[in-house]
Amino acid sequence: MDGINSLIEGFATALTPINLLYAFLGVLLGTAIGVLPGIGPAMTIALLLPLTYTLEPTQAFIMFAGIYYGGMYGGSTTSILLNTPGESASVITAIEGNLMAKKGRGAAALATAAIGSFIAGTIGTLGLALLAPVIVDLAVQMGAPDYFAVMVLAFVAVTTVLGSSKIRGFASLGIGLLIGTIGIDPTAGQQRLTLGIPELADGIDVVVVAVGLFAVGEALWVAAHLRRSSLDIVHVDGARMTRDDWRRSWKPWLRGTAIGFPFGAIPAGGAEIPTFLSYATEKKLAKNPEDFGKGAIEGVAGPEATNNASAAGGLVPLLTLGIPTTATAAVMLGAFQGYGIQPGPRLLDTQPELVWGLIASLFIGNAILLGLNLPLATVWARLLRIPRPYLYAGILFFASIGAYAANNSTFDLWLLLIIGVLGFFMRRYGLPIVPAIIGIILGPVAEEQMRRALQISDGELSGLYNTAFSQIVYVIIALLLVGPPIARLVRNRRGGKGTGSGPDAGHDALAGAHAHANAEGV
Amino acid sequence: MPIVVGYIPSPAGHAALTTAIAEARLRGSRLVVVNASRGDALVDRRHSSAEDWQSVRDQLGESGVEHEVLQQVEAKDPADQILEVAQQTNAELIVVGLRRRTPVGKLIMGSQAQQILLDADCPVLAVKADPS
Amino acid sequence: MTPANGSTGPAAPEVPPDRATGGVAGPAGPGGSDRLPDSTRDASAKKDYSEYGVAVLLLALGIWAIVDAVGLADASTARGPIGPKTVPIAVGLLLVAMAILLVIDVARGGRGEQEGGEDVDLSHGSDWRTIGLLAGAFAANALLIERVGWPLSGAILFFGTTYALGSRSYIRNVIISVIMSVGTWYLFYAGLGIKLPAGLLKGIL
Repeated sequence: MDGINSLIEGFATALTPINLLYAFLGVLLGTAIGVLPGIGPAMTIALLLPLTYTLEPTQAFIMFAGIYYGGMYGGSTTSILLNTPGESASVITAIEGNLMAKKGRGAAALATAAIGSFIAGTIGTLGLALLAPVIVDLAVQMGAPDYFAVMVLAFVAVTTVLGSSKIRGFASLGIGLLIGTIGIDPTAGQQRLTLGIPELADGIDVVVVAVGLFAVGEALWVAAHLRRSSLDIVHVDGARMTRDDWRRSWKPWLRGTAIGFPFGAIPAGGAEIPTFLSYATEKKLAKNPEDFGKGAIEGVAGPEATNNASAAGGLVPLLTLGIPTTATAAVMLGAFQGYGIQPGPRLLDTQPELVWGLIASLFIGNAILLGLNLPLATVWARLLRIPRPYLYAGILFFASIGAYAANNSTFDLWLLLIIGVLGFFMRRYGLPIVPAIIGIILGPVAEEQMRRALQISDGELSGLYNTAFSQIVYVIIALLLVGPPIARLVRNRRGGKGTGSGPDAGHDALAGAHAHANAEGV
Repeated sequence: MPIVVGYIPSPAGHAALTTAIAEARLRGSRLVVVNASRGDALVDRRHSSAEDWQSVRDQLGESGVEHEVLQQVEAKDPADQILEVAQQTNAELIVVGLRRRTPVGKLIMGSQAQQILLDADCPVLAVKADPS
Repeated sequence: MTPANGSTGPAAPEVPPDRATGGVAGPAGPGGSDRLPDSTRDASAKKDYSEYGVAVLLLALGIWAIVDAVGLADASTARGPIGPKTVPIAVGLLLVAMAILLVIDVARGGRGEQEGGEDVDLSHGSDWRTIGLLAGAFAANALLIERVGWPLSGAILFFGTTYALGSRSYIRNVIISVIMSVGTWYLFYAGLGIKLPAGLLKGIL
């Protein structure tokens, strides 16, 4: 098959010493930031965007993807040992994982998390490799109106699914779209929203914006509310599983992968929802459901597989259609834009070494991650001893380097501060960050598709929805927008508050995960 | 007037606790055990875990000495926190654990025990870890 | 002086739970701190006029977008109703609409949910002093980087941040700050070919 041949060639690219080095660096860094709460893959990739000024795209993306995957591995270590998630996707792992650790079963928890992550990551990456050519073949038939519709879907999905307040979600999206519009209009060459400032003519650099919203905004927010706490860390001796643990884990691993991968691939799917689903599923299917709530290994195996599979799934729309489904994917899309590469169906043809090298490198990265995390989990946990002042000082430090290096100008540093302050106030008033970053990065692309669609139709507005595909997408969008309020109305009229407890309880668990999702920007 | 002891879960800290209990018995004073940390890091070696803290309380209970335990996490150096407690309770003695530090080590890493020695209003008893 | 928590008698009751939160980080800010519960549905919360500020901001941004767009000349390549003005006007309208809806929501008692996190303790108001120090350290770097060079301004930034966040090991922090700033200068120059300003240390580096 064509895909397999390309994949083999990809391995040839990925196995060069320099690319192996970047893969190793990426997964190393990814694990480290996964372990540390408060720092996520999105923030880290944003902070490392300056690397794209000098690195080859293949090397940079191998490293970024390594960070993305590594983050999912590292997060489980903190969840299990400390009952606090290192990554928002690991929130669910902490429930059973920490209980297992406290009961002396920490080694099994760590092992099932690492091995499950490896299996899910590998299967997920395989899925990516097999699906990518298929989707690309279908996608070349998509026209500008179809693309535009999918992008609008991405906007709406990310706004309505995350966070509890749609108004604030759309407000955040609006702010993002606004910032994305600053600069020269792509078609007619006019300056928009630049206030006559020449430095703004090219728009705001994606580095400045991403770093400002994720890194500086987060640092300012944490500074305002620094929690002084010391958590009890459970001392675990390595990671090992008994035969019984294996028996109990392997099906949850596979189920978790099956749940996580598709969710990662749909807009706004992310990792929190599927991990929650995986937990609920495992609880229902478990042979000993009474173990849940006391340290059930299935409750670690399933969700951990899920979050790694969803990371792989998230790469599918990014690499095949150029649509990011999470904040991390959005920042990676920004990195593509920085290179002048437009991801989309043609990416597979124009940059095969990059895409297949990247995918092959993910397999390698997964293997390295297993080796890094399985025996060394407790060593990674030592990172948690770093006092937070140093962590956040480091974040601001690298943020400043990145912003300055973008254009060798202090103007960008001030811009960074302003956007950081914006990020602070967004966090203060409940405006989610993810819609903003997607608006900033995807907005200009969407605009171009819209203009193109309308040029094809010679200005007729129907040009935006004159294909079957786009019509279907718009129907989905409409459902997303009006569905939940109508469902709520129907529910309230039918049973009042009494019957609403089921979905609400699930909602609360999700809400907690969403809070983390915004913080980590997964 | 109580005896204040700065406790951390380390050999020096345990030695300090044991010595403090003996002193309290000798003087017939009340004992105030303080486990103070800054809370800057999520995992802090100075912070006594729930299990460790329980064993401290058990040890105190068995000793038969009148005691009080305080575990606090504040935006202050542990030395300052201990000095504050000593001042508030009008302590007659502070007991701290000591471990060997090179001069460079003290300069870069600081020494909580040294700060207590220098700033305390009352006598300070510095105890080394039990060599066994 | 902050009160010690968890004092007990001989028959010790429960020690504070794992996440022992002590006093506030640094002295509490002057009168302007917000004491806001993080529930979105707490209609009985004190009237928080600052939430309206968000709506004001959205309104301002929306109007700016629309006004700026209207001022654009019509592009000759535009066909039909769509041109360079469209997106800014649409975005502006979105922002204005959200501003209005937000005002309604806030008037009904809705509150933005403050973002939580492992390092965040939302039970107190914002610590403006820390934020101010942090912003100050950042601004210092922005002002100084081209005048005295990154090795110095970066060190000031790093040290300032650690100080702002409460670290009191000054000597250790100075050493780390200098290592970081000089180290990254070399790293970026040798590893990536990015030249950060050397400033005062021009001849030496």
